[in-house]
Amino acid sequence: MSEDNYIEIRDLHFSRGQRKIFDGLSMDIPRGRITGIMGPSGTGKTTLLRIIGGQVRPDAGQVLVAGHDVCRLSRDELFELRKNMGMLFQSSALFTDLSVYENVAFPLRVHTHLPEDTIRDLVLLKLNAVGLRGARDLFPAELSGGMARRVALARAIALDPALLMYDEPFTGQDPISMGVLVTLIKNLNLSLRTTNLVVSHDIHETSSIADKLYIISDGKVIGEGAPAELRRNSSAWVQQFMHGSPDGPVPFHYPADDLVYDVIGDGGR
Amino acid sequence: MIGLVRALGILTLDRLRSLGNATIMWVTALAGLPRRGDMALLARQIYNIGVLSLVIIVLSAFSIGAVIALQFYTQLARFGAEDAVGLGLALVLLRELGPVVTALLFAGRAGSAITAEIGLMKSTEQLSSMEMMGVDPLHRIVAPRLWAGFLCMPLLTAIFNVVAIYGGSVVAVQWLGSDPGGFWSGMQDTVELWDDVGKGMIKTLVFAMVVTWIAVFQGYDTEPTAEGIGLATTRTVVTSSVAVLAIDFILTLGMYGDFK
Repeated sequence: MSEDNYIEIRDLHFSRGQRKIFDGLSMDIPRGRITGIMGPSGTGKTTLLRIIGGQVRPDAGQVLVAGHDVCRLSRDELFELRKNMGMLFQSSALFTDLSVYENVAFPLRVHTHLPEDTIRDLVLLKLNAVGLRGARDLFPAELSGGMARRVALARAIALDPALLMYDEPFTGQDPISMGVLVTLIKNLNLSLRTTNLVVSHDIHETSSIADKLYIISDGKVIGEGAPAELRRNSSAWVQQFMHGSPDGPVPFHYPADDLVYDVIGDGGR
Repeated sequence: MIGLVRALGILTLDRLRSLGNATIMWVTALAGLPRRGDMALLARQIYNIGVLSLVIIVLSAFSIGAVIALQFYTQLARFGAEDAVGLGLALVLLRELGPVVTALLFAGRAGSAITAEIGLMKSTEQLSSMEMMGVDPLHRIVAPRLWAGFLCMPLLTAIFNVVAIYGGSVVAVQWLGSDPGGFWSGMQDTVELWDDVGKGMIKTLVFAMVVTWIAVFQGYDTEPTAEGIGLATTRTVVTSSVAVLAIDFILTLGMYGDFK
């Protein structure tokens, strides 16, 4: 495994029932950088994060995270490795029975033996980083979607992980929250030098912060490189995706019979 | 025909896989607890599962005890055997009704709550996020609930029995005027520590294991949708109730044996 890469995926195969999600996918995620993984909905972007986190086992292929093959780790080794990973879920996934403060303190309480004073300082610093120090006593039900995602981000960075994974961080956010999240992700990367993996289909936001982009479709990588390079890429797939065209190699219509035939039927029955 | 055999095979394999998963979950969860530091989690579940079930247990026990005493009294009084109400009441409660009714109430009150809670945690990705934080949900979420159920149900059964006998005594002795000496001494003479109290407790331990296992597994295995959680909750109550009644028959046959 190259020193420059934090994650290396080789020839990944994964199917769900009859449907092939990944068909020989390979990618390198550089250490200390922001890498964006983009692709149309349903291409298995979230599944890819779950495979990297060891929650889903692929059918074949190798996934190396910090030199460990996650598919071959025992349950205990996997849980140990995950202490070095932070993940921001699309739904935020905050613990609804705990306050904002306790949510952020949770990983610290479980994985460290720090005294309460230190935990308090750390939690307040993390909450301050996402601008929600004042919201520490609120419960998840009292937060807006954008605030919940920022609390989840504070919780994900509580243990200063080496790898941060974001699952659709911009989806469903108002423009202000979206701007805040983009800045936060960029700043966290700059200050902590964390390896960041952003899975998203928001082209503009992701390209504005990513050092490297991967576009996946039909279980394969169809384009990779720096955002500027990808915009110049000659592939029709990449062009369609980068410019958000409704029709192209990725068809607008789900496979169906001819419209005229479908509407009028066989001879206007 | 082949389609039918195939469907049957798929269904059987599905059920077996589900049973296998449930067993692995149960063993993994129980292997982890109780450790020091987990006591707060356990105490919280004992409160949720045990203490909060007390009201329904006490109310049902009192009314069931009172009704049984009333029925026994009216029948036994025809033979002038009102004194036997106490021993009849105690035997029926200790051997059968105490463990069975407590288990049924427990499945309805605590089992359904456990399933819904874990199911909702699953559907809101709380279990996944816990896993990704390097915290095993089997240890953190499942194990405390299993242990709490296992510890609480025998205690709830004991409380059920005591309150029901008290309810029976209120009806038979204080209201209908049965002789208190006969009521209590008949009970004292007949009830055996092992045969009645002990075997009743064995039943309750088995029920505790089965009901909490079903409740936790249904929650953990639920389809993460609103409909899935509803179905899982219903399945918990229905499966637990049927399982309790079936196991009760087998245990009674095994422990009180020789009916010929």
